Amino acid sequence: MATLTSQPAAAPKQTPANRDKRNVSGPAIIARDLKKRYGELQAVDGVSFEVAHGEVFGMLGPNGAGKTTTVEILEGLRKADSGTAVINGIDVFKDPDGVKKITGVQLQTSAFFDHLTIAEIVTLYGDLYGRRVNTNKILEMVELTDKAKSYYKPLSGGQKQRLSIAVALVNDPVVMFLDEPTTGLDPQSRRHMWELVQKIKASGTTVVLTTHYMEEAEELCDRVAVMDKGKIVAIDSPGALIDTLLGTGFKNERKARAATLEDVFITLTGHALRET
Amino acid sequence: MRLYTSLILASLKMYFRDKQALFWSLFFPLLIMVIFGMMNFDRFSPPEVGVVDGSNNPASQAFIAQLKGDGGEKLLATKTGTRDQMFAELKKGDVDAVLEIPADFAAPGRISAVRMSYDSRKPQERGITSSILQGTLERQFQQIEQVPDQYKLDSRFSVSQAEVEGKGQGYKGFLVPGVAAMAIMQGGLFGVVFTIVAYKSRGILRRLKAAPIKPSHVLTGQIVTRLTVSLLQTYVLLAVGVLLLRVTIGENFLAWINLSIFAALGGALFIAMGLVISGWAKSEDTAAPVANVIALPMMFLSGVFFPTTAMPDWVQTVSQFLPLTYLADGMRAVALDGASLGSQWPELTGLVAWTAGTFLLATRIFKWE
Repeated sequence: MATLTSQPAAAPKQTPANRDKRNVSGPAIIARDLKKRYGELQAVDGVSFEVAHGEVFGMLGPNGAGKTTTVEILEGLRKADSGTAVINGIDVFKDPDGVKKITGVQLQTSAFFDHLTIAEIVTLYGDLYGRRVNTNKILEMVELTDKAKSYYKPLSGGQKQRLSIAVALVNDPVVMFLDEPTTGLDPQSRRHMWELVQKIKASGTTVVLTTHYMEEAEELCDRVAVMDKGKIVAIDSPGALIDTLLGTGFKNERKARAATLEDVFITLTGHALRET
Repeated sequence: MRLYTSLILASLKMYFRDKQALFWSLFFPLLIMVIFGMMNFDRFSPPEVGVVDGSNNPASQAFIAQLKGDGGEKLLATKTGTRDQMFAELKKGDVDAVLEIPADFAAPGRISAVRMSYDSRKPQERGITSSILQGTLERQFQQIEQVPDQYKLDSRFSVSQAEVEGKGQGYKGFLVPGVAAMAIMQGGLFGVVFTIVAYKSRGILRRLKAAPIKPSHVLTGQIVTRLTVSLLQTYVLLAVGVLLLRVTIGENFLAWINLSIFAALGGALFIAMGLVISGWAKSEDTAAPVANVIALPMMFLSGVFFPTTAMPDWVQTVSQFLPLTYLADGMRAVALDGASLGSQWPELTGLVAWTAGTFLLATRIFKWE
């Protein structure tokens, strides 16, 4: 009897089902020597990295560096020419559907059905994953409750991005891929997106995100990989990468200040979302 | 199973909320059907005859009055005028024939030579006019006293008439199943093309691919939705045909079942065509012209609005192998004549062959990106 009572307490009810599916013996993501060629262009040229469970991993790089292609290979949307990709112990190339079941995806260029309401879209995607989802709870999480009965088209850019996050959440994913989630958003929407990513991280989900905004990577990511011309040129925590650069004697011409212009903007215009 | 029902319910919902889709697949064919159905192409329109009255006596006036018919239906529409006026109108095509009454019309001892000039392009009007002319003259010349005995006919005959209620449904009966077939084509072809191409070009499909479902799930949802729409179009259009245009459908309920079978088969065929186009095209800009190039000629060559018999022989030969011809002819036969499916085996075979071939092509050509 004593052994029974000394067992760890049962997981709290709100624990997402997929968190139990975590393959704790290995990392959340293993990418090994991934290569992908489009005609003359070697879009991804031997990319290798690992992401631990619960980590927020950033992929930085100029346009055409190969970030999106790498992410889409990991999502099972694109076939790599060679290499290995494993998500939560599942081989992406051998069992893409198995990977899709435990990942949440927000694509850079994607849209949702017209003539369905936001709530109907979330419920439909739940059905596609074989899940009966609590649509209200998901919409609440991404601050779209008051838009539940709206169609997709009239949504603002920020609302559309939050809807794609909502849809990516329907299957309680182990790993979430966010491809440029804040591109084109105003500072208020961007900061709300950051809070959302932090909420997702707090729930234990591993997040891979690509971005062009360095302050975003610094704010959100535990580690980042810098990509250029299909290769990873550096990979470490943002702090360590900055230290390494400073170690080479680098000095920023501009004096660092205690606040940025964006801080001024947010202070002047308020933190609240500007959407109707 | 729940996956399928969710996808089908969602796409049906989207169809009924899409006002543009509803307009083109239901209201537009309905409008065309009602407008064409209200035009009475079957009604007899009397030939127009110009009369040059050379004698202008009581006998000639009585004769002209007789030409117009005897109180019942108008047989000829007449107008009088000078010879020059009437011949000018004949050449313009305003009248179909000119009758010249001689100056000595019905004069005793003379033969009344009535001359009829007709438009060579109007053989039907010529026949009607000449027979009415002869009949009227015979009747009048037997009655009036001015006609000398030697010119009266000796032998007599009689013709009796009986009215029989026609069962042929005329132009409306031709039109209603034809428009239903056209609506099935438009709905299947354009419905699928615009939906799938929009899914492709706007990235809706990319996001769907990131979910653990197969593209065939999405396509099945589409196909079932569109087939439902095909049946719905058929029922709505035929119901309006019955209620508003007074067309009768078959002898019993079996005609509706046979119609449904044709509608579903035709729906499948044009959905498959839509899949071929949308599987190949990258955007609306390339898909729309191709869909139109397929649909528009069929609308006119397949005998939707008018029988193909007015067309040149070689066009009729081509027309009989068009998918829409098989569908329109088959639906017409089972709807109007209450024909059995067995008697429509050439149309059914044609439809099945087209459907099978098109689906095969669709599976070969369809690309998601």
